[in-house]
Amino acid sequence: MAGRRNKVLLLVGTKKGGFVFTSDTSRKKWKLEGHSNQGKEIPRMTYDGRSGTLMAALTYGHWGPNVVRSKDLGKTWKEPKTPPKFPKGSGLSVERIWQIEPGLGDEPGVVYAGVAPACLFRSEDGGEHWTINEAMLNHKTRKKWQPGAGGMCLHSIVLDERRPKRILIAISAVGVMRSEDEGETWKFQNKNLFVDYQPNHYPEYGQCVHRLAHNPEAPDTIFMQSHFGVYRTDDAAENWIDVRDNLPSRFGFPAAVDANERKRFYVAPLEGDFSRIPPGGHFAVWASDKGGGDWVKLDRGLPEVSYYTVLRDAMTTDKEDPCGVYFGTETGQLWGSRNQGNDWERISDALPPVLSVSAYQM
Amino acid sequence: MIRVHLTGQLRDLTDGAAQVEVDSAEDLKGMVAKLDSRFPGMGQRIMDDQEKIRQHVNVFVNSENSRELQKEKTKLKDNDVVHILPAVSGG
Repeated sequence: MAGRRNKVLLLVGTKKGGFVFTSDTSRKKWKLEGHSNQGKEIPRMTYDGRSGTLMAALTYGHWGPNVVRSKDLGKTWKEPKTPPKFPKGSGLSVERIWQIEPGLGDEPGVVYAGVAPACLFRSEDGGEHWTINEAMLNHKTRKKWQPGAGGMCLHSIVLDERRPKRILIAISAVGVMRSEDEGETWKFQNKNLFVDYQPNHYPEYGQCVHRLAHNPEAPDTIFMQSHFGVYRTDDAAENWIDVRDNLPSRFGFPAAVDANERKRFYVAPLEGDFSRIPPGGHFAVWASDKGGGDWVKLDRGLPEVSYYTVLRDAMTTDKEDPCGVYFGTETGQLWGSRNQGNDWERISDALPPVLSVSAYQM
Repeated sequence: MIRVHLTGQLRDLTDGAAQVEVDSAEDLKGMVAKLDSRFPGMGQRIMDDQEKIRQHVNVFVNSENSRELQKEKTKLKDNDVVHILPAVSGG
């Protein structure tokens, strides 16, 4: 039987390595446990609570990307025997690993990785060997897929404990795809998602989705921040509903959901793609308690002048009650809130540029 | 014997050794495969998924950049000296 989890783990991937912070569940004081893979770019760190394994997507600069794992919270790391690789003859090479997502509770070795150029990889042995998803690699529309400004990245993976064969992913700038047969076939799920850069504003695919967020206990409800809007689905992406309402902008990158209140959703708007700065030079997280709509600005404790940029994977929530919210900036600040974003406290002020923030119970 | 000079992050895989030796190899691709079997992960760093030398990695054979020779198919012979270096990029 699992023991009581009494620690919160905050993983911060940066342009110069990965940082591990821990706190007790009060989250009043954070301890920096370590800085690993120093100098390497870490787009994502994930803690697999099923095995107690820390996993990091990293880029060795000139020397390519990989997924490494640690059993001792980042003190030592191990590379896979078969890293994520495109097959010979495909003409493709993994440029960056964007996402690592542990599989479902009853498949302890399964882990997924999303990469650029967009494709999904799966490991069945905790990250030692990786296999490409052939159906996505050979999708009939693939030649028409276009990258977003950050590359053609598969950045979001949504699994469903109730429907173990379902996998839902998002790619920038391709859109949302869903499989009902564990990745054997894929279907686009982009109904009602607006795009501004095509003559047809509601195409079957080609949407620049920036991030999906969901509560694993209610996986049919998924929130989206895209290039051109903020959306929610209540039917696992059969239909998307525009929930921008009173937000100051439709543009932003990160998205996160509250652990306890299933309709509470957090975004961090930027003025637009023309400037990519917070509205008025003042950064704020915005929350809705209605699954989108009636948005409230959450900026108590944040600097008045705060030209923060928060990348798509750099805002997250924890599993505590009240829910904690965290974000890291491209200028190296790490902020946290212990009360659903109502009050903000600085956790660290001078990290390297932050690429990702994720929180776990230990 | 082929002498291989390594730089930067590649030395993480060789316990810091800046130079290693390979008994023989037909070409650069074969040499990298031998290095990878001794130092797992070395191949992944030097070659991309299509087994081409990575875009920002330069491999010199007797001071000639292999891009000006036959790239990864550049033939090797006894006493050749190979340097594996990152391309200069950035300011």
